Amino acid sequence: MLKNYFKTSIRNIKVNKSYALINVSGLAVGIAACLLLFLVIQFETSFDDFHPQHKKIYRIGSMFNSQEGTSYSGGVSFPVAPALRVDFPQIKQVASIYKHEGDQITVESYGKNLPKKFNKTDVYFTEPEFFSMFKFSWLTGDAKTSLSEPNNAVLTREIAEKYFGDWESAMGKTITRNNKELYKINGVLDNPPQNTDFPLGVVVSYSTLSNTIAKINMEDWVSTYSGACSFVILPDDLPVQKFNNELPVFAKRHKPAEYAKDTYIAQSLDDIHYDDRFGNFRRHTFSHSLIRALMLIGIFLIFIACVNFINLATAQAVNRSKEVGVRKVLGSNRSQLAFQFITETALITFAAVIAAIGIAIAVLPLLNQLLEVKMTMNFYNNSILLLFLSVVGVLVTLLSGLYPAVILSGFNPITALKSKISTKKAGGISLRRALVVLQFGIAQILIIGTLIVLNQMNFFRNASLGFDKAAIINVDIPGDSISKSKIEYLRFKLQQNPGIKNISFSFASPSSNGSWQSDFKFDHSTKSTDISANLKWADVDYFKTYGLEFVAGRQYFPGDTVREFVVNETMVKKLGIINPADAIGKELNFWDGEKVGPIVGIVKDFNSYSLREPMAPVVMSTWKNVYQTINIKIKPGAEKNTLAFVEKNWNEVFPDYVYQYKFLDETIADFYKQEDQLSKLFTIFAILAIFISCLGLYGLVSFMVAQRTKEVGIRKVLGATVGNIVYLLSKEFSLLIIIAFVLAAPIANFIMKKWLQDYSYRIEFGVTVFLIAIFGSLTIAWTTVGYRAIKAALANPVKSLRTE
Amino acid sequence: MLELKGIFKWYHSGNNRTFLLKNIDLSVKVGEFISVMGPSGSGKSTLLNVIGMLDTFDQGEYHFLNESVHKLKEKQRSILYKQYIGFVFQAYHLLDELTVYENIETPLIYQDIKSSERQAMVADMLDRFRIVGKKDLFPAQLSGGQQQLVGVARALIANPKLLLADEPTGNLNSKQGEEIMELFKELNNDGVTIIQVTHSEKNAAYGSRIINLLDGSIEH
Repeated sequence: MLKNYFKTSIRNIKVNKSYALINVSGLAVGIAACLLLFLVIQFETSFDDFHPQHKKIYRIGSMFNSQEGTSYSGGVSFPVAPALRVDFPQIKQVASIYKHEGDQITVESYGKNLPKKFNKTDVYFTEPEFFSMFKFSWLTGDAKTSLSEPNNAVLTREIAEKYFGDWESAMGKTITRNNKELYKINGVLDNPPQNTDFPLGVVVSYSTLSNTIAKINMEDWVSTYSGACSFVILPDDLPVQKFNNELPVFAKRHKPAEYAKDTYIAQSLDDIHYDDRFGNFRRHTFSHSLIRALMLIGIFLIFIACVNFINLATAQAVNRSKEVGVRKVLGSNRSQLAFQFITETALITFAAVIAAIGIAIAVLPLLNQLLEVKMTMNFYNNSILLLFLSVVGVLVTLLSGLYPAVILSGFNPITALKSKISTKKAGGISLRRALVVLQFGIAQILIIGTLIVLNQMNFFRNASLGFDKAAIINVDIPGDSISKSKIEYLRFKLQQNPGIKNISFSFASPSSNGSWQSDFKFDHSTKSTDISANLKWADVDYFKTYGLEFVAGRQYFPGDTVREFVVNETMVKKLGIINPADAIGKELNFWDGEKVGPIVGIVKDFNSYSLREPMAPVVMSTWKNVYQTINIKIKPGAEKNTLAFVEKNWNEVFPDYVYQYKFLDETIADFYKQEDQLSKLFTIFAILAIFISCLGLYGLVSFMVAQRTKEVGIRKVLGATVGNIVYLLSKEFSLLIIIAFVLAAPIANFIMKKWLQDYSYRIEFGVTVFLIAIFGSLTIAWTTVGYRAIKAALANPVKSLRTE
Repeated sequence: MLELKGIFKWYHSGNNRTFLLKNIDLSVKVGEFISVMGPSGSGKSTLLNVIGMLDTFDQGEYHFLNESVHKLKEKQRSILYKQYIGFVFQAYHLLDELTVYENIETPLIYQDIKSSERQAMVADMLDRFRIVGKKDLFPAQLSGGQQQLVGVARALIANPKLLLADEPTGNLNSKQGEEIMELFKELNNDGVTIIQVTHSEKNAAYGSRIINLLDGSIEH
């Protein structure tokens, strides 16, 4: 019986090639998109689930309460971990790990060549306990012995091969961090999996920290380092709620009284990849709402493809009515017929799934490139993927096959044999209309959403940040004091080049990823303010280089140490001063008198973080010892020569270090990398949705044109013009798309308003976006319908009438 | 074999009841060869469809081999009909995408007959109708007479007791028509009860009894 069904199905598919092609390609594209989305979601939800104890591991995060609300950090102060061990003896496992970014690693090449230098390296300082908590496998060495002594280091296989050629020969060799600290390689880790938020590379024993030249104060309960994380494994008798209730007491016991408002909070390892309030070492979080959005898009795309199927199948039902009639007369009952049609759908779906796998394999590398990940599609060890595909296959078959099967098998055999089944009877024109409306509704929601995301991205790129970011490069300078003493010499050398307009040395550029924040005492107050000031240490040329404008007072005098302060308008507002000029002369006191001086000027506000964040209060002053970057404004047209000139002179001044520069506008664009990736992803899916919808529309119109050949012929004989005919054939679809728009617009409006809430600086979208969406979809639909319609209208009426 | 008692079939147009069949009383004995005649629209095909259980009626009783058809449910009716009735159409109604062999085989599939048994039965039938050489051809590759031959073969494959034919020669030329009628006669001699609808006096003469229909009633 099944064989007979297969045979009939395959022959039927062959007879209606174009119909099958539309179905298969629409479904294949939909399923492929769904498959890729599944891979993305599977990848993003698998982070750090390979550690056997991942459910029990918690990270201690920090919670800061101030007048602006609550803010969070994934890091803590250094003494937290030792104190936890003492205060919570029931917690058996506590581990600290500290990530230090942007170090330079020098690898001796043992006489042969010059030493190899690698900059911008992340170095992880961690305790042996970390590796008994987290499962990273060792190629040689083990956690207990390899990381017990100070100045011992462990490399991952990839890094070991990069530094020493092959990992076996790395053991026992040495590397130098920032030209100061010598570490011995005492173990090699296998490369960490892709799905970890601990992208280890260079790992150094934790005991090294207290001995580093920078001399980190391990007893400081005030400073919080975002890279300093503490992990615990909570025992069964200490549930996380109970632990979180005890942490405020713990914080109060240890933190200085002034900071008693701030506390700690335990965050499950399973949440680390999703919660952007705390962040992670990978600097990439993937929120649950984003996962939901992607799932929804996947479901939408599959649904749109299924709608095509249903529409074409029911429209085509008339052609199948004779077969249904004959089979019924020959003794088939309804369920057998329904089963036969379902088999046919299953065959088409199967073909689509195979095609979808092919498409997905071809597209995966591009997706990896876009998202900057390395996902793989492997059917051998990813049984969930197979299961997913089977479920999708069955669902699609039922979703798209069931309704047409029920309709077709329900035909009365006598009417069916007399070919009296009309398109109207076969599954209701109104259902087909409703499905088309739904399809285009979804497509238009995606279009409107994409347009708004793109607009917001555009806004990010072009928004005025309050400072001049064009043609400015930032060049790193080494952190040691000898290098600092050479700053003025480098400035002098660089000034010789006429291509350079301005040079300024500073801690950071006006808008940068890393920031230095602190509270302070204002105007001789004994208590610290609630304000967390963003500290921008910079020489006096900074104002000129970035075009910062003053609203009151003057810039500070040149100097190497902190003597005078310039603040921004937001700071003045936060301090409760209405007229900026009134702030001049007031004293700022940082760290109990360590850095004290009067405010001498107020600059106009500029954005010191990404535009997701509100305007921050900024304090600026000179402080040569903390300068890390050179800000160089290049004259237009002189970029190429100037870049080479800067590199040459920099290398002459700092021969032991690696030269590195970046254009400021690129740095700023990087803030929005995730938004950028998402907007590209959304664009692709919106295009797919439109494509699949139009495919279905094309099929439907071709079919309707075929059905109405005679009508078109008669109308032409009666004197209808080509325009009349095209209008006749396309007016219904235009109406459907307009109805779809009326439904889609408010939904899209609601969703996108909500999405924009996350951004402190956001676009106001008006009617334009909606107008583009509706006219865009109408144009696309007309193009799709138009071809068939014009073809039908141009056909010779004599011919079309003769066929009857 | 079967008996119709006071069969009415009607539809409503506006407030008027239009009768398709009016008070039909008919009993058919095993081995009869009946020809139903009458002008277009007199209800010949409707009567045939009712007898063939393809169509329902609004009033009356229908007994088929001791079963009361009017009391049976759809499913039971379908079992009864699959087992005992074969159909031949004016327009042949072969399945275009199946070969001759497969077309003949299809009724057996719906009766859940095993594959090996099916092969034997179809082979017999092909032999009997001398169309073995055409078994792999599709309907479109056959002449009208050959198509109707396949149609008859298909109707007979499940050994029906009753063969219903709706103008079986209507689309054929006279020679082809004669052949089919000869075939019917043979079948009737072999014991198959036949009811045919026809316009042609000549074809009607092959039968043992003629029933004349006018406006849904049997003329006596």
